Amino acid sequence: MEYLQTGKIKKQAPNHKASVSTQTGFPSPATHYLEPSIDLNKELIRHKDATFYVRVSGDGWAEFSMLDRDVLIIDRALTPKAGNLVLIVQQGVFKVIHFPVNNRSSSFIVWGTITYIIHYTL
Amino acid sequence: MIAMVDCNSFYASCEQVFRPDLWGKPVVVLSNNDGCIIAANKEAKAMTHIAMFEPMFKIKDQLIKNKVTFFSSNYTLYGEMSQRVMNILETFSPNVEVYSIDEAFIDVAGIAHISLKQYATLIKDTIVTHTGVPVGVGIAPTKVLAKLANKISKKVEKFDYVCVIDTDEKRIKALKWAQTKDIWGLGKKHQARLKNIGVFTAYEFTQLPLAWVRKEMTVVGERLWRELRGESCIEFQTMPKSKKAIGTSKSFGKKLEDLPRIEEACAYYISEVAEVLRAQKSCATYIQVFVTTNRYSAADKQYSNSCTITIPVPTNNTFILTQYARKALKRIYRTGYRYKKVGVNLTGLIPQQYVQGNLFQSPALYDKRLMNVIDALNHKFGKATVGSALVGTRVAQWELVKKDRSNRYTTQWGELLELKNK
Repeated sequence: MEYLQTGKIKKQAPNHKASVSTQTGFPSPATHYLEPSIDLNKELIRHKDATFYVRVSGDGWAEFSMLDRDVLIIDRALTPKAGNLVLIVQQGVFKVIHFPVNNRSSSFIVWGTITYIIHYTL
Repeated sequence: MIAMVDCNSFYASCEQVFRPDLWGKPVVVLSNNDGCIIAANKEAKAMTHIAMFEPMFKIKDQLIKNKVTFFSSNYTLYGEMSQRVMNILETFSPNVEVYSIDEAFIDVAGIAHISLKQYATLIKDTIVTHTGVPVGVGIAPTKVLAKLANKISKKVEKFDYVCVIDTDEKRIKALKWAQTKDIWGLGKKHQARLKNIGVFTAYEFTQLPLAWVRKEMTVVGERLWRELRGESCIEFQTMPKSKKAIGTSKSFGKKLEDLPRIEEACAYYISEVAEVLRAQKSCATYIQVFVTTNRYSAADKQYSNSCTITIPVPTNNTFILTQYARKALKRIYRTGYRYKKVGVNLTGLIPQQYVQGNLFQSPALYDKRLMNVIDALNHKFGKATVGSALVGTRVAQWELVKKDRSNRYTTQWGELLELKNK
C-alpha cells in the first residue's frame, strides 16, 4: 500500500504579517498593536499528535466536575503527577481517578491525562 | 544506520486503542464491504483452526463462536492514526521515509548521545504512549537488514520489539536465523529456486557467488545480496513515488441489475480516482472499466468483462474521464445479470505538464480551473460535495456495507469515544 499525501492536515501558518493599516481614511491607531486572534488549538493542545477528545455520558463523574455530554481533552504525552485527573483502564473498563501520590499500583493502566473539561452551558 | 518502524497489527491496534475491553483479545478487521479478513491481531492469528483467508460468510459463525471481535474497515481512523505515528517519527529524525500506512524507515545516522538500542526503545515507548499503537523497531546499516531486524524484534520474544544489528557478529546471527521467506522483497519464485539449490537461510543466500545471483536473480537479487551483507544500495526516498496506475473497485452493498445505478457507482469511483490523479499532477492515457457478478453465489448466472479505452488526449478531468468510463461500461454491460462489483483503472499515467495534444484537440481544451474549484470545495466541505451529476444522489443504494465500522473517533466531533458511567 502506498502512502498518499492527499488529505494531510496542514498546519496553519503562524501569522507574521507586519501590521500595515488598511483603512482608507485615518490610519488605525491600533496599527502597531495588532496580534493574531486567540487560537484554541494553540492554547489548549500541547501535543497535537498525542491529544484525543472523548465525550462523557452520564452524570456518574460529577465529583470530578464532569457532567453528561462534556468533552474531555486528553493528552497522552504527559506523565501524570499526583492529584492530576487521569483516564485509566481497569479490568478493561475506562475510569477517571485522581492520580495517586505513591503510585505503586499496577492494577490500572493510564490511558491519558485529562487537561481540560469542555462544558456546554446553553 | 537506518531504523525500520512498523506498527504491530496496525488496523486491529487502532481499533483496540479505543476499546480497552478488547485488550488481549482476538480482533480482526474486514475488507471493504465486509467480504473477508484483511487484518488480524496476534491473538486472532493464534487461532489457527479458523481459515482466516476464507470469505467472511463462510467463517462468520466460527468467529462469533470463538469470540473474535470483527470490525468493518475504518480507513478514516487508520489514516489519521498513521499520520500521528509518522508525525511523531519526524521528531526523531529529519529523514523519514513513510513506506506504507503502518511502516516507515527513518535515518538515525549521527545518533551519538545515547546508544542505538536506547534510541530505538525511546521511539517504541514514545509512539505507544502518545498514540496507543504498539510498534517494533529494527535498526541496521541497510534497509533490507533493518527490515529483518524489525521482524526479529517481533518474532523473537527476548528482543521485546527492539532489535539493533550493529556488529558483523549480530548480522551473521540474524542472517542465520532468517529463512529465505524472511528476506524483504524476495518473491515466492526466487524462494523456491533457492530451495532447489539447497539455500534455506538468508546466510546461505549471502554466501552464494555474486555472479550466480546476478545471472539468476537479476539486479534485484544482487541488491538484496549486497544489502544483506551490509552494503547499502537502496536509497532513502523522502518523497512518495508517483503512482503508475490508479484504480478502485468495490463491491456493491447489494447486487445491482440496471445500468443507471451501476453507471452512478462507476462515475463515483471515477471522481475518486481523478482526484488522486490531480493530487499527484498526472494525467491518464487509458481507462479500464470492469464489471463482475458474485462468483460465490451459485444461484446467479455468472458474467464478468472489462473494456479499455485510449483517451485521445491524456487528462485528469473528472468529466472527460466519466464520459469515457460510461462509454466503456455500455460496451460491456449485459442485461439479465446481478452485478456485484464495478471497477475502474486509470493507467498510462504521465505528468500533466507533458500532455501532448493532437491535430484535432489541444490539451487546453478543458479549463483546469473548474477542477481546481471542485477540489477546493470538496476539500473544504467534505468528500463528494460537488461533482458530476451522473453520480446521482442514490449513493446509499449501492454504497458499501460497513455494518460493523467503529466510530471515526479522531475526525468526527459527533463520533467521539463515549465514556459511559452510571
